Amino acid sequence: MSGKVNAILTAALVTCALFVVNSQYQSRRLFIELERAQAAAKQLEIEWAQLQLDQSTLAKHARIEANARRDLNMVPVTPDRTQYLTMGGQ
Amino acid sequence: MREPSRTAAGKGVQFSASPVLALKLPVWRSRVVLFALFAGFAALAGRALWLQGISTEFLQKQGASRYARTLELPATRGKITDRNGQVLASSMPVKAVWAIPEDVLEAPAEKIRELARLLDMSEKDLRKKLDSDRTFVYLKRQVEQDVTDKVAALNVPGIGMRREYKRYYPDGDVMAHVVGFTNVEDIGQEGMELAFQKNLAGVNGSRRVIKDRLGRIVEDIESVRLPHDGKDLALSIDRKLQYIAYSHLKEAVEKHKAKAAAMVILDVKTGEVLALVNLPTYNPNDRSKLTGAQLRNRVMTDTFEPGSTLKPFPIALALENRLVTPLTNIQTAPGKLTIGKATIGDAHPHGVLTVQGVLQKSSNVGTAKLALQLQPQQMWDMFTTVGFGQQPKLGFPGAVAGRVRPYKSWKPIEQATMSYGHGISTSLIQVAHSYMIFARDGDIIPLTLQKAGDSPIGQRVISEKTARDVRVMLEMAAGPEGTAPKAQVPGYRVAGKTGTAHKLVGGQYANKYVSSFVGFAPVSDPRIVVAVMVDEPSNGFHYGGQVAAPVFSAVTANALRALNVPPDSTVTDIIVPANPVEESM
Repeated sequence: MSGKVNAILTAALVTCALFVVNSQYQSRRLFIELERAQAAAKQLEIEWAQLQLDQSTLAKHARIEANARRDLNMVPVTPDRTQYLTMGGQ
Repeated sequence: MREPSRTAAGKGVQFSASPVLALKLPVWRSRVVLFALFAGFAALAGRALWLQGISTEFLQKQGASRYARTLELPATRGKITDRNGQVLASSMPVKAVWAIPEDVLEAPAEKIRELARLLDMSEKDLRKKLDSDRTFVYLKRQVEQDVTDKVAALNVPGIGMRREYKRYYPDGDVMAHVVGFTNVEDIGQEGMELAFQKNLAGVNGSRRVIKDRLGRIVEDIESVRLPHDGKDLALSIDRKLQYIAYSHLKEAVEKHKAKAAAMVILDVKTGEVLALVNLPTYNPNDRSKLTGAQLRNRVMTDTFEPGSTLKPFPIALALENRLVTPLTNIQTAPGKLTIGKATIGDAHPHGVLTVQGVLQKSSNVGTAKLALQLQPQQMWDMFTTVGFGQQPKLGFPGAVAGRVRPYKSWKPIEQATMSYGHGISTSLIQVAHSYMIFARDGDIIPLTLQKAGDSPIGQRVISEKTARDVRVMLEMAAGPEGTAPKAQVPGYRVAGKTGTAHKLVGGQYANKYVSSFVGFAPVSDPRIVVAVMVDEPSNGFHYGGQVAAPVFSAVTANALRALNVPPDSTVTDIIVPANPVEESM
């Protein structure tokens, strides 16, 4: 009788131990995945900052003005060549 | 006789027959051995218990140091943006390349040559850096990612890299004085970078982790201290207006061969500084050839005698105290006025002028006559309330207070000269700020360099009626009959006052000038105050109306258009007389 109980308990113990090993492994695997995702997020953040910086650099007014004048032959607007529309249609 | 034992051993006698067994030894000897054995085991057990059970710290620490690592989690410095969220300063991760000189010098010569080429330095310089007794030297800091990748691929022994940040300023010299810059450690040194260092800088975090054989992180062993990134800072500056101001001011400096110039644009409704430009300037991305003159923020830290731009204040005070009305006649002939031993004068005698005319023609004699009817304390109070002699509450590093001497020691001649802006020193931002009272119906609001949502509550200095009266006069001064017809803007009504002052050099007035113009527009509902100052224009012209007013006109026209302010004047052709009135100094 007691021999049987011992056998069952031993089997249960071994199974539990194996599950512990497995879940530990799973947790580490997931943790590494999380790490990777966080690193990717950080990288994207850096990229976003870089893009914002690029946007700011490209949208420099000096550059826009130079491009407008040189490439597009544009001139600054003056009030005497502007038709103003007032609210209420007067 | 032969030894029996020897014979027996030699012949292989049976064990049981060995005579050694027959020897009777004392019992205590075996006891001693037994005791020594057990004592040995007891000592081992005791030591094991000590290490495993009681003094566990040492071994655990040693164990942890073999698998646990503390990682620093760097915090990023906050971005600085303009009022529309466009980036003016941003930190990007870069790397510092360091070396253990001894190890690097063992590398083949062509590798070192290649390394020097990648780091953009001569091989001689590199070798000089490596020729040191220290075990750690920085070869180059703030190296960009693509370069460090190549350096890493070179695989030189003893070369390491450390992550750090580099600050980039996309607007470069246009924004230099407002934004400032940080040093190599990412700590603010100038401008807003310095003023808001505490908010912009982040707090680094850290975490303890277990790493596996491959260096991968497998587990956190302590709670993570998260890094706190620095807060972003939104300035009140409008990038577009800043560029408009910068480009026109630069043009004026070149045209008039001036030593320096400065300009500031304020929002009348909110007190925000929309643009702040100084020339000469510098590129914050490359500060290798920086000089003190370039670094100087003239708007904030330079004081000058403002000259005629101060005339509206005593006139407003005289109106406020009902000593005169805008149409009261004042005799300014013969264009000279002797007070005590000193004589002050106008550039041209104007004869009888109304109070309006005094400001329009910028008559020193007329202003002085009005000022002498005022109590010194009243004048001093007014100057102080509008901010002269007071440190501007902007939180900007190095902003100066200027100087207004205590009224108790004023002599009449000093009171007279102060009424037209001599014997008093102010910074450009103070003059611009003080004009708020005319642009804003008599009250003054604090200035700010940060983006503000709501309009602050003003402090009343003069009545609404006085403010409106002076506004009319200032519009006349910036009109065809005034001292600054070139300040006119097509489509908009503008008001403002010129100033031309001799510079003090070594306590003496020299033949050098500061030309300035302070004004606001549109007059029907003022939106911006614009102040221009040109230092030592030396190309033939030096009057504020010739040098500073055209800059005001160009900048105001573009700024109002950029701000979508509807025009309040139908006048599109501007009358500029051939010989406009020259102001007095």
